[in-house]
Amino acid sequence: MSLTFTTVIGLEIHVQLNTRTKLFCGCSTDYIGATPNTNICPLCTGQPGTLPVLNERVVELGVRAGLALGCTINRVTRFDRKNYFYPDLPKAYQISEFYVPLAEKGEVTVTGDDGKPYKVGITRLHLEEDAGKLVHGASDGRIVGSTQSFVDYNRSSVPLAEIVSEPDITSPRMAKEYVATLRQMVRYLGVSDGDMEKGSMRVDANISLKVSDGRWGNRVEVKNMNSLRALERALEFEIRRQGAILSDGGEIHQETRNWDDSAGETSSSRSKEESNDYRYFTEPDLPPLVLSDSYIEDIERDLPELPWEKKARYERDFDLPQDDISVLTEQKDLAEYFEACVKAGASPARASNWIRTEVLRVLNERGGHISEFSLSPAALVELLRMVEGKKLSTTAAKEVFDAMVSREISLKEAIDACGVTAGNLSGDGLASLVQSVLEANGDVVEVIRSCDDKKDKKRKFLQGQVMKEARGQADPREVAKILDIELPR
Amino acid sequence: MELFRLSATEVAFGVRDGRFSAEDVVRSCLSRIESKEPEIHAMLTVTAEAAIARARELDGRRSAGEDLGPLGGVPVILKDNMCTAGVKTTCASRILEEWVPPYDATVVRLLLKAGAVLLGKANMDEFAMGGSTENSAFGVTSNPWALDRVPGGSSGGSAAAVAAGYAPIALGSDTGGSIRQPASFCGVYGLKPTYGRTSRYGLVAFASSLDQIGPFARTAEDVALVMEVLGVHDPMDSTSQPVPPDDFSQALSARDLKGKRIGYLKEVAEYDYDDRMKNALSKAMKACEEAGAEMVEISLGTAIDHGLASYYILAPAEASSNLARFDGVRYGSSSKDPESLMELYLKTRKDGFGDEVKRRILTGTYVLSAGFYDAYYLKAQKVRKVIKQEFAKAFEKVDSIILPPSPTPAFKVGELIDDPIAMYMADVFTIPVNMAGLPGISINVGFSEEGLPLGVQFIAPRWGEKELLSTAAVMESRFGGAKIADGGDL
Repeated sequence: MSLTFTTVIGLEIHVQLNTRTKLFCGCSTDYIGATPNTNICPLCTGQPGTLPVLNERVVELGVRAGLALGCTINRVTRFDRKNYFYPDLPKAYQISEFYVPLAEKGEVTVTGDDGKPYKVGITRLHLEEDAGKLVHGASDGRIVGSTQSFVDYNRSSVPLAEIVSEPDITSPRMAKEYVATLRQMVRYLGVSDGDMEKGSMRVDANISLKVSDGRWGNRVEVKNMNSLRALERALEFEIRRQGAILSDGGEIHQETRNWDDSAGETSSSRSKEESNDYRYFTEPDLPPLVLSDSYIEDIERDLPELPWEKKARYERDFDLPQDDISVLTEQKDLAEYFEACVKAGASPARASNWIRTEVLRVLNERGGHISEFSLSPAALVELLRMVEGKKLSTTAAKEVFDAMVSREISLKEAIDACGVTAGNLSGDGLASLVQSVLEANGDVVEVIRSCDDKKDKKRKFLQGQVMKEARGQADPREVAKILDIELPR
Repeated sequence: MELFRLSATEVAFGVRDGRFSAEDVVRSCLSRIESKEPEIHAMLTVTAEAAIARARELDGRRSAGEDLGPLGGVPVILKDNMCTAGVKTTCASRILEEWVPPYDATVVRLLLKAGAVLLGKANMDEFAMGGSTENSAFGVTSNPWALDRVPGGSSGGSAAAVAAGYAPIALGSDTGGSIRQPASFCGVYGLKPTYGRTSRYGLVAFASSLDQIGPFARTAEDVALVMEVLGVHDPMDSTSQPVPPDDFSQALSARDLKGKRIGYLKEVAEYDYDDRMKNALSKAMKACEEAGAEMVEISLGTAIDHGLASYYILAPAEASSNLARFDGVRYGSSSKDPESLMELYLKTRKDGFGDEVKRRILTGTYVLSAGFYDAYYLKAQKVRKVIKQEFAKAFEKVDSIILPPSPTPAFKVGELIDDPIAMYMADVFTIPVNMAGLPGISINVGFSEEGLPLGVQFIAPRWGEKELLSTAAVMESRFGGAKIADGGDL
């Protein structure tokens, strides 16, 4: 009998909170691309005698995220010290919330492996400071082969929220969806930019397998996944690796493994091999953090509509395909743009269609963000109205759209510039255009005349050609009439 | 009269009235330091040139009609664990031997704003760990009243400096008695404020939940003067309490202790300690009664019986974490050409720290370790809570409590250095005050037959510094202010 495995995954996600200044001092949190050791002060380099002062904004963002995760917010928490030596940790302790987290006992709904909604438990969300960054002297920046290492403290004391899930996740796909859901959530909340590539969202995975014969594999921690795809691949790799070992009757070594994205495999981490005793104790330099009910209620009241709530509402209110709803609600700003269009009178289907095909195309081409998009929802709706009123063909409207966006001009200016008002080309002018199209497509005309055009396919083709030549300025009904005269049925 | 003999209040008035210049005062103090320092060795750094330049600047501003502030022209000495921008701050440790802080401690900033002149940095037990200043990596300080004896500790240099007339004011820090015990040993006044009254920002931490900066002076009036400058809320220290600044000087107008109830401890009466200290306590209690106070027997069983043991768990625990940052990576001494990161850490710390510091780091690391945390650290925290409650109950019955600042007067250099437990036991009467975050003052009430200063300690409820200053003022009117030690050997 062959063995089967049940996958057990728990994720720990570090989210960099979106603040201007660090967790315990006034230094800028802008460490990406900054000259090393420029955004530092006596506090975040751990100079003797310095004392932490809590950034209130961090607490607010943490509570916001905790509430969105459906967590209980603890009214009294204390910061603790996690003690260990490493050159990127200037005080030789990290200030974190160990004994009592800011928030705990929440949940996030994802798609289960059976396709039904599935709840992943959130164990806790706690606040802590980031460490600095080691830069090694080897040409590839890695520690192996380096004769020198340098420390950059720009990132030291940057605020993080660590979100720990229950070991409820049962597949790499689900892990990926869970992280994508959290990423979308923190972005909606304005809590973090959630960028895995830049490291403002870092995912560590704990994965173990349960064997159908009753054996349990040891838990392995996997680090260094810098994208959703990497997370999924790393977990798939681990399932294969652990499965093979367990199938052979072997034991899984409890360890930390690093994902190597280019090699497509995990390898045992050489650093931090010994199990650390962090000697946690309450940070005496910070008084207890006491949050009043009204403070938490105020934050709760200000919570924006969350992505999953928005999705549910779209399903309820708009007759749109699932795919459209997913795309529209992916980013809060895009959803707001869409809703503004609908509010201004566009039909949800047409607004969705235009946003997906035209707005997102332009944004992709330009690498811009919807919040910086020059065309207002009102202007877009004005354009869509012209299409609906048959004043512009879809083809012409797309040309006008491009002109409005690229040259940042009004609808009227764009129509004039493109010379594409619907019906501009009619009567004799249109008739002679039709004539030249028929001449250029003699073979097609022949088919129609011999009554072989069963489903009017060829006729429609010719009509399309005329419309194309007319650059949208012809009224399609008039074109059809002329064609009927030239090629009687 | 030699200007170094003046109190801070007298200096401030004299400079303000133009009777003498700040430079005259500073020069007088500097020459006093120069003549006495070879035998006392209270100082680790004397910033003579900067002090004279600062005094001249102040004199110039005064001539221009400017108000220099409450400490205008007053020379002040700092314990060498308070950060001074541009001036070495060593904590009397090899590991910080050459360290120059990039910033000023809040207390330094406040002193300078109030017009004080900094004369330099005083010797101490390394990282404030010890009760004799013998743990300094840069040599022991002698007691100005008896050169073969210790000045107490850990703020021994600061206490000795004020006793020897180097300056009217010195700052110390008190984690388990480090202001009150050396004040007693050196015959001066030393106040440990309520935890949260003075800012710890820029004080190199020993045990964060217990450390507090306070002044040494030779009069109650000077203690009040300094506290009015230092006793303000500091947003840079989250444990600094936003209490409104107190009018401490007003407390000095007390002429008697009528209507006051002063507690004395049953446990102290039963405690086996030095007769000279017992006599000093009786003498002070008698003076209190004569001044109209009602003396009430109270009991602080947990504080006296278990305070010391709990303290020597909690303070080293915090210290082991606070001192972990001295790793040779960013500042301070660093071992040369280490083979590995681990070797850098091990060698830097092995060579940089003295024995007592290592002992406490080891103790602290042990009591926080997995498997021991509950039995030691957590238990000690519980004891601390009980001590706080015990004091709160006691202060329902009395306005203040009198007890010795130390079981003995100044002991001889080398007498206890090889017996750390005996050295720790000397803190038994001071530690409970830190554990409960209370204010305590040590004042001189006389001398032993062989000429050793003898002090008593008063403690009050949180924020009760004014109560202490009133009592100190009344005691001062009976016993006189602290004297300057002029002799060498006794």
